[in-house]
Amino acid sequence: MKLLSCSPTNVARDYDYFLVACGSDYRAYQVLRKSKDYRISIKKALTFDFQQRHDDLDPESLQAYQSCESLGIDTEQVPCSIVDPSACVKMLGSFDPELVNAKNVAIDISCFTKPYFFCILKYLKEKTTISSVTVFYTEPLSYVFAKGLYYSYHSTFGPLSVMEIPGFPGNDTRTTKKVLVVLLGFDRELSLFISEEVAPDEIVIINGFPAYAPKFKDISLINNEKLISSAGPSSIRYARASNPFETFNLLEQLYNQEPFAFFNVAPIGTKPMALGACLFALFYPTVRIVYPLPEKYAHVTTKECWNSWSYEVPLRIVMKNENALGKS
Amino acid sequence: MNIEDSYRNPFSDYNANVMDTKKILDYWCSPFAFFKTAPVSEEDIYRHNMPIVFMGGRGTGKTMFLKYFSYETQRDKALRETDGKTPGAIMSYLKSRGGIGFYLRFDGPVLRSFEGKGVSPEKWDAIFTQYFELQVCKSYIEVIADLVNRKQLSQKDIDDNFVACIARRLGGQDRHPKQIKDILDMVEDALEEITEFRAKIGFSEAEFVPKKAFASQDLSFGVVEIARKTIKEFGNDLNFVILLDEYENYLERQQVIVNTLLKFVRQGMTFRIGMRLQGFHTIATISRNEFIMEGRDYSKYVFEDILVKDREYRKFLWNVAKKRLENIPIFKEKNYLDISSFLGKEEHLEEEAAKLVKGEESKLKYFDLPEYSSRLRSKISDNLVDDTRKLIAKPDNPLLELLNVLWLVRGNEAQEIKKAMDEYLSGRVSSSLAKKYKRDYVDKYKLSLMFLLASVYHRRKMYYSFNTYCFLSSGIIGNFIELCRRSFQYAYFENRDALLNDGKISNEIQDRAARDLADTQLEMTKRIRDYGHNIYLFAKNLGNLFAEYHKDLLIRYPETNQFTIDASASGDEELRGILRSAIEWSIIQEKPTLQQRTPGAPRTNIYTLNRVFSPTFDLTYRTRGGHSEEFNTSDLKALMTQDGIKSQLGSKKKAKKEGFQPEIGLK
Repeated sequence: MKLLSCSPTNVARDYDYFLVACGSDYRAYQVLRKSKDYRISIKKALTFDFQQRHDDLDPESLQAYQSCESLGIDTEQVPCSIVDPSACVKMLGSFDPELVNAKNVAIDISCFTKPYFFCILKYLKEKTTISSVTVFYTEPLSYVFAKGLYYSYHSTFGPLSVMEIPGFPGNDTRTTKKVLVVLLGFDRELSLFISEEVAPDEIVIINGFPAYAPKFKDISLINNEKLISSAGPSSIRYARASNPFETFNLLEQLYNQEPFAFFNVAPIGTKPMALGACLFALFYPTVRIVYPLPEKYAHVTTKECWNSWSYEVPLRIVMKNENALGKS
Repeated sequence: MNIEDSYRNPFSDYNANVMDTKKILDYWCSPFAFFKTAPVSEEDIYRHNMPIVFMGGRGTGKTMFLKYFSYETQRDKALRETDGKTPGAIMSYLKSRGGIGFYLRFDGPVLRSFEGKGVSPEKWDAIFTQYFELQVCKSYIEVIADLVNRKQLSQKDIDDNFVACIARRLGGQDRHPKQIKDILDMVEDALEEITEFRAKIGFSEAEFVPKKAFASQDLSFGVVEIARKTIKEFGNDLNFVILLDEYENYLERQQVIVNTLLKFVRQGMTFRIGMRLQGFHTIATISRNEFIMEGRDYSKYVFEDILVKDREYRKFLWNVAKKRLENIPIFKEKNYLDISSFLGKEEHLEEEAAKLVKGEESKLKYFDLPEYSSRLRSKISDNLVDDTRKLIAKPDNPLLELLNVLWLVRGNEAQEIKKAMDEYLSGRVSSSLAKKYKRDYVDKYKLSLMFLLASVYHRRKMYYSFNTYCFLSSGIIGNFIELCRRSFQYAYFENRDALLNDGKISNEIQDRAARDLADTQLEMTKRIRDYGHNIYLFAKNLGNLFAEYHKDLLIRYPETNQFTIDASASGDEELRGILRSAIEWSIIQEKPTLQQRTPGAPRTNIYTLNRVFSPTFDLTYRTRGGHSEEFNTSDLKALMTQDGIKSQLGSKKKAKKEGFQPEIGLK
């Protein structure tokens, strides 16, 4: 995990492929924009163009959305639908046959929806031979709270459907109880919807702390009051909001405490925490990832950019208790 | 530990899905003991061969009900009743009940994973059939294995007879299973084949090639036949009852597969299915020309119908609360087990009204309100206004005072009104006018007057008391539990002493709990999977529309909160879909029997906005019937798709000059 800066201490990296989601948030292309400063060289950028995102953008936002084309990087657009990551990753191989032979791949998850980057990382693990992926993430300077700090943040709108992320169904055979681990976010209704759908025997809540800002931890707790009150205060754990490896370690620790449980993880907190959950599910395929798929994502949920991070994510470590389905 | 420190919110366990058998037994409150109108008996659950469908809104207690009849809960009940000491107690208890319940709930994410991803629907049907058959089989085997482990069944008999037959059925003779646990292993392995396929198909092309494919009924019916033949302890009179929960989550094609099983149940096994209202997405079966029909293939019972129309509902809720209060040491020790003592039995409207106007009694001049003044001007000459005011004044009871004004507006003389009021207050009602006055006040308008008073004073009527909470819950036990949960939670933080030491929760706290729940539930409607946004608009518009009736100074249609839909609206597929989803999620509720919209009109379906939303819109918490709004297609479309629909009730432009017939509609 590395904080990107313009200092010469950054080790230069060359990437065959850089995967990035198109978005109108300023942070969508922050790493690409500063790639020279960060001493990153990119042969080809695959830009995932979500039809639903650019459909009703105002001219200014549309310009921001399309601005990656003017960054002087060889880009190719991957047309995709926000609601069907499975179809998108399935056609990646035919879209660019060279991708499976790539040696160095990076992905910027700042503006990918979580199901998308989960599917892409699973695809890279299963279909390529690369041993690790560099994951970039740019923190927002702040989140957009429409009407005050509490209760008003929404990253998603409209009807919700709780889904298994394609490729992450887990495995509940030979388990005796169902555990739901919720990586807590701000959206008020999401965690309840998920817990009602999954109906676990036990709920563990992981709140992002230290958070990007001190208040954020409490906003998450307030917005998830009903879930917390049903799970009990002892169910709350903490992991640094910006560190996927802390989330991974905590999840692994919880998992090892419950060897006969069917683990469900709902990554509705920060992207780095979700990355930790993704990594965890990649190495423990018995773990199911559930996610509330909304009708619509909010166009703008953040303002400007703060730090950019890079995480070197291993894909090839064989866990000591992994078999075909990862079950010990 | 201090007994106060052991306190936890008695209502914090709101979801039966996550309750273990101990909690289910602790909290179980038998509906059969309370509801005289229940069309099904406890014995029927195991013994009646025809499948039964239990429909009910979210939170009506379907899961609790089905889980209670599951093997695990009944086993623990048998152990609890016999202290676990009597050999064979479980088996003989099950036999006395007449059956074993196998509880199955598949969560929505799993069910929804059996579609798309480039796989044809027909292939998914075959894979889902395989999955369903194996899951049912697994639940049978787990129960039998548990009975063997607990020495309720002879291990030798099971190993010698049952295991070999099942192994053949599962196509795994080559694995030479010896014990029931080996059979369970085989089933788990077969289920893993499906899981592996589901894991791969999400990001690559994959084929599903099971070692052995199972057709519908192969295991769900087949294992029952084998068990009845080979396990002598079961005999011929122990039914296998599959308790299938949340059937509304099944995709349409999945329901076709299970509907077929429902249609062809055999002797010795049957289904009890829990689902939301409108939870059948289809009544089709695998055979193109065969459908399942209520009455012929299954019986249907709607929880709300039984709960709402039965007078014992309140007693039932009281007992639900009692069971929970008993589990909290401090309440048990202090014998604070009566929820109506915490909340108060019912409202005191006169007290509430007096409090509401306190300090502002003199500010209000009813006669100056436009809708009254225009009507009174022609009846009372200017020089008599003050005398009239004095005659009908009742400063210590603002509700009676408002009724007096209403009577005046309706043409009664001030002296008559005063006489009728005095008679009523003295308790010696003899004249017909006084009798009518009493009827109007006590039976007809008291609550409406309270809402109107609050509206006139720009305040809000409060929602408090056990009685009010029962009404607000609208036949949904989960609503009642959530109202109590919030009340206890707020009380614990804001007035802990009154809660723990006096066993009381203030009206203000109860009111806030009711409002917060109403607001939250309304907000949540936006996230309903099908037509969430439309349902939100529909609920909001209905609420605002009905609120106009509650503010009507002439109280022409008191406490209106129901509507009908004219026949033309049934032709619009999208509107039907929205309506269906709104009913499924209990946002609106259909009255159990056809009723007349107005006297003399043909009988039709009548719907009400779920009363749990009442506090958001300042609506009555009860449904008294009478007038219903009637919507046609364009009204419905507007209500479901546009924001800010308003009523034209009392619109000057359209109001008739004489009488009090309002023009009601949308603008």
